[in-house]
Amino acid sequence: MLLYSRAEGNRMLTTPRLIVIALCAALNFSVGTIVYLVKLPIYLDSIGTILCALLLATDRKAAFVCAWLAAATSLIVSALLVNPFVPWFAGTDVAIALVAAFVIARGATTFRARPLPTYAFAGRVLAYGVLTGLVAAVVSAPVVSYLFGGVTGSGSAVIVALFLKGGQRVLSAALLSGLTAEPIDKTLQVLLAALLYRATPGELIALLQPPLASAAEMR
Amino acid sequence: MTPNGAAAFALIVIVAAVAAHSLIGLAVLLALCLAFGGIELGGRTLNAFAWPVGVVAPLALFMGIVWIGVVGRSPAEIAAGVSGARTAALGYVTVVCARLFLVALAIRLVVLRFADSTPLAFIGALKAPLTAKKLIALTLSWMDTILHAVDRSRTALVTAGIIAPRLSLRNAANGWILVQTVWLSVVTIAIGRLRDKWPAESTLARLEEALRAPAPSLTPRDGWWMAAAIAALAAAPVA
Repeated sequence: MLLYSRAEGNRMLTTPRLIVIALCAALNFSVGTIVYLVKLPIYLDSIGTILCALLLATDRKAAFVCAWLAAATSLIVSALLVNPFVPWFAGTDVAIALVAAFVIARGATTFRARPLPTYAFAGRVLAYGVLTGLVAAVVSAPVVSYLFGGVTGSGSAVIVALFLKGGQRVLSAALLSGLTAEPIDKTLQVLLAALLYRATPGELIALLQPPLASAAEMR
Repeated sequence: MTPNGAAAFALIVIVAAVAAHSLIGLAVLLALCLAFGGIELGGRTLNAFAWPVGVVAPLALFMGIVWIGVVGRSPAEIAAGVSGARTAALGYVTVVCARLFLVALAIRLVVLRFADSTPLAFIGALKAPLTAKKLIALTLSWMDTILHAVDRSRTALVTAGIIAPRLSLRNAANGWILVQTVWLSVVTIAIGRLRDKWPAESTLARLEEALRAPAPSLTPRDGWWMAAAIAALAAAPVA
């Protein structure tokens, strides 16, 4: 398998990593679609992106590339099958992948620690969730404002309506709405990703290690 | 027409729709999409409209409630600080919804144009890096696996009395167990495929072989549609 990946000339995207990227993209798509169809005021469409970064936490650069690829793949599939407007949020996905790989992945050890360090776990989930939410809100606001007139068709339209009624401009209303809803949504996503990461067998995580590290582990 | 030509056509129409600021510009693009549907899809053109209508209708409803019902004035009027009118809000909502409708329609026309070919054949014919094509094909495969895992896990947990097959408080409390079970099922399947099944069957090598075939060159027909889309792109913002 490793020989196959080297022959391809791409050591970062080994076969197990490609499989996990596709798996996380499918997870993004499946959960995101359910939430989109029931019109909840949350998105839950980046759990796979965050989980992918956590699974590759030992190699931050690979974690970013793989998390971003998972997000981009789910974006393409989702655009063709369910929601044609998600590709406009490609920039948000890059931002989430960056935060997931370079910030959230730092909590990987805490997330897998046994027994569960309850306070440290909760504190990290909350801090990472709020940070991801703030970043996502700022990056998404121009798209929500211009393409959707501030209303994306989810339950968060109610929040936008309140801000617009209060005299805010569209961009400000979209930004304030995002800053209100996104931290809650992203905290929930970080929590779910951390719990799934915690439940993932060590066997899979070992398969994702860089070729040299895997060889050393086997010895 | 080739998948690459169709994808380029859709991309140009989408860019033009986003750049258009008036209903006339958007009407030009709609006419182009209708012509594309009529010539490339024939009788299936009407089917192509069902999906964009279904996708944009809830958005239009939300926007109507927010902009016409609650706010009662357009963004330009808010920016100018004037009291505004609901008709201006209606005009704004119409342009935004028409733009979104065209984006969805362009994607749907391309999907239906190649509805007769398999997803693997369509992906294989695209001019894209091999890794990207492999990722999309694998993702489509895993989506099916996840759906099967959901079915199996749900059945097992209902049988064990952990969740109920209907609306129940028990499901709210134990729903997480279902999510975890689905994830563990899928991961176990992934490890099994990676270690045993796929190497034995040379699945990935075969997939790569299927996707490695060179993408077909653009045809004159692709060129005509792309030229028409570029002309509409030039006309839409100024119309």
